[in-house]
Amino acid sequence: MLNTKVGVSVMRCLRWFGVAIVFCLVVILGNPLTGQAYEDTQCFKCHTSAKQLIEITREIAKTRPAAKSEEIEGEG
Amino acid sequence: MEPLAPHEKIFVDSEILDDENHGEIACHECHGGNPDDPNWKTAHEGVVKDPTYPDATAACGDCHDEINENYQNSLHVTLKPYRLTIDKRASTNPVIRDTVERAMDNHCYYCHSSCGQCHISRPNFVDGGFLDGHLFMRKPPVQEVCTACHGSRIQKEYFGEHGGLRPDVHREKYMKCEKCHSGEEMHGDGKEYANRYEVENGPKCVDCHKGIYERDAKNVITHRIHKDEVSCHVCHSQPYNNCSSCHVGKDRNDLPFYKTKASWFDFKIGLNPLKSETRPEKFVTLRHNPVNREIFDFYVKDGLSGFDNVPTWKLATPHNIRRKTAQNSSCNACHGNESLFLLKKDVEDKEREANKGIIVPAKLIPSTQKWQPK
Repeated sequence: MLNTKVGVSVMRCLRWFGVAIVFCLVVILGNPLTGQAYEDTQCFKCHTSAKQLIEITREIAKTRPAAKSEEIEGEG
Repeated sequence: MEPLAPHEKIFVDSEILDDENHGEIACHECHGGNPDDPNWKTAHEGVVKDPTYPDATAACGDCHDEINENYQNSLHVTLKPYRLTIDKRASTNPVIRDTVERAMDNHCYYCHSSCGQCHISRPNFVDGGFLDGHLFMRKPPVQEVCTACHGSRIQKEYFGEHGGLRPDVHREKYMKCEKCHSGEEMHGDGKEYANRYEVENGPKCVDCHKGIYERDAKNVITHRIHKDEVSCHVCHSQPYNNCSSCHVGKDRNDLPFYKTKASWFDFKIGLNPLKSETRPEKFVTLRHNPVNREIFDFYVKDGLSGFDNVPTWKLATPHNIRRKTAQNSSCNACHGNESLFLLKKDVEDKEREANKGIIVPAKLIPSTQKWQPK
């Protein structure tokens, strides 16, 4: 009878211990996972690719008018 | 400063992932947009180019709370000197005043800075572009940031980019801007100042040159005689850049433009227009500003009907300091030397009223000396 109660207590302790380990792993590994997700975004993929940026900025330059007036004269 | 190609301006260095402070903040958390959309056009809907201006609270405030709070009042953001000067010069007619304000919005108020435009990219004034692949730079680089805006005056003077003039002696000692202009000064101390000369944590020559008035210091007599009478720059500046006449307007494509006349290097000592407890000197160096009565005529006539309320020559602290200069080579290189002083004849007729308080009357020009300290 006594042995059974001790066994249940040990099992409960182990369960909480397990939960704590899983929690720690999530916290520790969480950061690299976030970093990984950030790397996978379209923003990051495109803005770290010179080739893609050259193509897109050329496309933009064809359609977008000049941002600065040609009439500017002298020092600002 | 070399211009950046369009793609270079927005190229992100993947090394940013290694930045332990900023590397885990995803792009869209600051800039908005849709990070999952592979179509760049729709992905950029709602994107904010500079999430640190006008309010950096959301982007920077969580971690840099004190700096963020103070920065809202820094001169780089408030542009207070522009505003106060125009307030004094502008017409009191509310309709005209509103039009002047609109013109200021188009031409003057874009000349601000922000956290991002110092620590991440070049300022908008020079068309932006990342300094180093969107890596966060604790100390902004001088030429891409500081002199990108402060170019026509500070850059030319400090680097000696004018024929016959030497660089600032501090430049020759490899001192960068931040050596005198600390981060604390740049970020502001939370107080709203009217101009940079009031800023309490701004640099003063004596912060470093502490011992110049001490008994055994070199040139102590000269320094003591002139203390609080002339600013350091009066003796130690070389000729500096002056600008004149500015006209603003919009071209046929509705783009704002300005036209200024050619600038010129000159050296003029005048009466201190901003005399205060911290700047008690009678004589200071003065620089002509790029302003004229008709500056906003494109928008409205007589916009600056109070033009004469503020001098067009303003207190200047040229950044081309030398220990030995033409005017300090002997007492009489300055004393009795009319050409160094801003006299009535040096000021255009139409600007005389505005500058009457700082023009040096002939009787105030120090007379020639017979005795010269060793």
